[in-house]
Amino acid sequence: MTRAGSLQTEAVKRRLLVGLPTLVLLVLFAAPTLIMVLATFQFPDDFGGLAPAWYSDSDGVHLDLTLENYERFAGEAIYLKIFWRSLVYATLTTLFCAALAYPLAMFITRAPSRIRDLLVLLVILPFWSNFLIRVYAWMSILGPRSLFTEGLNGLLGWFGLGPVTLLFTPFAVIVGLVYVHLPFMVLPLYANLCRHDPAWLDAARDLGASPWKTFVGVTLPMSVPGLVAGSLLVFIPALGAFAVPDILGGAQGAMIGNLISDQFLSARDWPFGSTIAVALTLFVVFIAWLMTAVARRLPGGAAHAR
Amino acid sequence: MKHFLTLLALSVLSAVASAEDVLHIYNWSDYLPEETIATFEEQCGCRIVYDTFSSNEELMAKLAAGARGYDILVPTDYAVSAMAGRDMLLELDHARLPNMKNLKPEFLDRPFDPGNRFSVPYAVGVTLLGFNADKMRQHGIPTDTWAALFDPKHLAKIKGRVTVLDDQRELMGAALIYLGYSPNDTDPAHWGEARDVILKAKPYWAAFNASNYNVLLAAGDIWLVQGYSMDVYQAAADAEEAGAGVKIGYAIPKEGAYMAVDNLVIPKTAPEPELALRFIDFVLDGRQSAVLSNELGIGNPNMAATEFIDASVLEDPALFPQGDVLSRLSNIDELDARQRRAMNRLWTEIKVQ
Amino acid sequence: MPARSRALWFAAMGVYAFLYLPLLIVIVFSFNDSRLNARWTGFTLDWYAKLLGNQQLLTAAWNSLVIALAVTLISVLVGTIAGIALSRYRARALSLLVVTPMAVPDILTGVSLLVFFVMIHLTLGMQSVILAHVSFCISFVAIVVRSALTNLDPHLVEAARDLGATPFIAFRKVVMPAITPGIVAGALLAFTLSIDDFVITFFTAGAGTTTLPLQVYSMIKVSITPEINAVSTLLMVMTLSLVVLASRLAPETIRT
Repeated sequence: MTRAGSLQTEAVKRRLLVGLPTLVLLVLFAAPTLIMVLATFQFPDDFGGLAPAWYSDSDGVHLDLTLENYERFAGEAIYLKIFWRSLVYATLTTLFCAALAYPLAMFITRAPSRIRDLLVLLVILPFWSNFLIRVYAWMSILGPRSLFTEGLNGLLGWFGLGPVTLLFTPFAVIVGLVYVHLPFMVLPLYANLCRHDPAWLDAARDLGASPWKTFVGVTLPMSVPGLVAGSLLVFIPALGAFAVPDILGGAQGAMIGNLISDQFLSARDWPFGSTIAVALTLFVVFIAWLMTAVARRLPGGAAHAR
Repeated sequence: MKHFLTLLALSVLSAVASAEDVLHIYNWSDYLPEETIATFEEQCGCRIVYDTFSSNEELMAKLAAGARGYDILVPTDYAVSAMAGRDMLLELDHARLPNMKNLKPEFLDRPFDPGNRFSVPYAVGVTLLGFNADKMRQHGIPTDTWAALFDPKHLAKIKGRVTVLDDQRELMGAALIYLGYSPNDTDPAHWGEARDVILKAKPYWAAFNASNYNVLLAAGDIWLVQGYSMDVYQAAADAEEAGAGVKIGYAIPKEGAYMAVDNLVIPKTAPEPELALRFIDFVLDGRQSAVLSNELGIGNPNMAATEFIDASVLEDPALFPQGDVLSRLSNIDELDARQRRAMNRLWTEIKVQ
Repeated sequence: MPARSRALWFAAMGVYAFLYLPLLIVIVFSFNDSRLNARWTGFTLDWYAKLLGNQQLLTAAWNSLVIALAVTLISVLVGTIAGIALSRYRARALSLLVVTPMAVPDILTGVSLLVFFVMIHLTLGMQSVILAHVSFCISFVAIVVRSALTNLDPHLVEAARDLGATPFIAFRKVVMPAITPGIVAGALLAFTLSIDDFVITFFTAGAGTTTLPLQVYSMIKVSITPEINAVSTLLMVMTLSLVVLASRLAPETIRT
């Protein structure tokens, strides 16, 4: 085999290896995304679906496109409001996840190394059970006649406070979101914390820093990249959540995901549903960019920036 | 464990491997008695696959999204004309449906399908109020008026214990009736008023629920629902059977209400149109149709069924409304495209507010 | 210091309890005698017996299985090729196409595929669900395979060739052993992702393609019987055995 020939087969091989999966993903991922963008400029069909993007008559072919969907989206405060609400829910979810994940990740880091893998596995394990079941579990816990709700209301009654409803409230939505996304925060945080050199902590302590000061001055800043990675993994899916608010939120906790699915599955207004979906996509991209940019500027961020 | 898995595998295989005909029905939940399914399956040597939707909007959205493979659909009156207008339905061969003679004349040849070219009336239901009788009495809430559902004065006492139908036409219609308008009113100003009424009441509602409110009502989790007569009837029966002391009542509000006629239709895309026709004629048989009323508390457009229906069901004024109650009930009319878009906008606003 | 570690211990145990109690409650109540689900009234296996007679559920389980197997096959094929390509070449477009789908919220994938399928006149059914699942499973397989290959020293193949091995032998003796755990882990991951998916299936399913998660969803929405607890428990046992299997076969790659 000549050198040129082997180079040529190498080029063919490369084209095949790279080309085939690229083509498949272009068709199954890029094309649907682009078509959804096109749909935002179309009219809804009378019965549902999309009206044709063009029509032809004696004068030739005409495009039948509109900016109406964007005008509607930008023109009514209600859509901004639901984006804002979803943002608040997703932010709270991220904060609660961080608050729960931090002690757990620290605990695992400090555990004897032979059980560390087991402790990590224990975090992932519930995540492998069906997503809907994890949501359903909370539906039964927060239901009005559950042991938990009745116990809580008994306790509140002692203090002379009225009974509270838990299911079908924003509270239920956030609990569900935190529960479903918690492992995504624990894992990157743990991965970060276990890379910290214990010598740094010893040094801080030798210089007379209290444990709290060591934490605030050394551990916390150094864990920023882990927190940012975890926050992205929690915040983005939480922002686009659909099933959790649908099952636990009832009338009160609708999020962007519910708005989108309503446009497709009951209002039969696909172009507008696509418009909201495109807006959500842009929003997600912006948030991801913002968080990584901020993380890079923070102390500790630069050292670990990938 | 091993035996259990073998058993599971075997039953999965037997469910799938059989090569007999399959009739795909897309219907409301709890709208076809087990007994009817079993009898028909035995008679035709086929298998019935039963998928469910919870509103006409959902049904039409699924069809618009290209759902195919169903042999029987069960749309409500206005949805029939929408589908027929889109040329989606198979014309029915009346010669193949001898049991059509059993139907009451007042349910035939309706404006949504003149001459019953595409549809056969199957069930009649009224949208009404279902309630936990003790809780309503305890909180002094009237149960014969839509005010119970919309007036914050009443709702404040039962906050978080109320559900309304997750269905734009039903909820907007009820609000319009409460305001004294016709449920088919299309004046945008009146629609705006109806939206305001709904938005004022919404903070007190637990959920938009058109699927399992009857279960929640029967279990005592929810105290007041806007619901369909058959579902609420079911809830009352379930609550009594459970014996946990929950007593369910139901009433048609004095202001009026929607009465829906649900119809059997065959889509043009049906894989088994012949089997579908046989099924339709089968359920139009008086004895079979009566099962629908006896088992599920569904109002019945079938004359031949009357003699087989239990007196307790037949004489229930909410299931088989008579006289001046009947005169206060109206059908849902189809909206035109422009009105539908306006309604969709209002509904989106209501849902996410 | 001890006081602080004790506080940390308590906090961590609290979080573990938060993770496990809900699932434990589901499991316990799947054996509860009462229909109303709120109090423990006695032990029963009735709900499991009922499941075996539930045709809809069994059909849904079968659908899920067929779909998951088809998805695993296709995405392992394409994903492995993508993984090899990513480890060998600097293919920026491909790596963008592999990484982005994983970051997109499910609902966006679901609705964009729905619009796409309807526009190309693909009837919603088994085929649309399989394609939809493949679209997000490829990425996971590709990533796992690539990470298995990064541990492989490229010089090993050259060394094998220098020692006179044919390209095929070199591939079989050097690349295959390195890549196999990655493929197995990728396959299990694809299988689990497919069998577990709800949101994307919800938007792309058609008549007669009700999968297990869709069936569970309609059970949650329509009834509140303890049968759901029993289904859930069985599903947990199933995925748990898959995870155990995966960790046996490919202990390094399963921790993604």
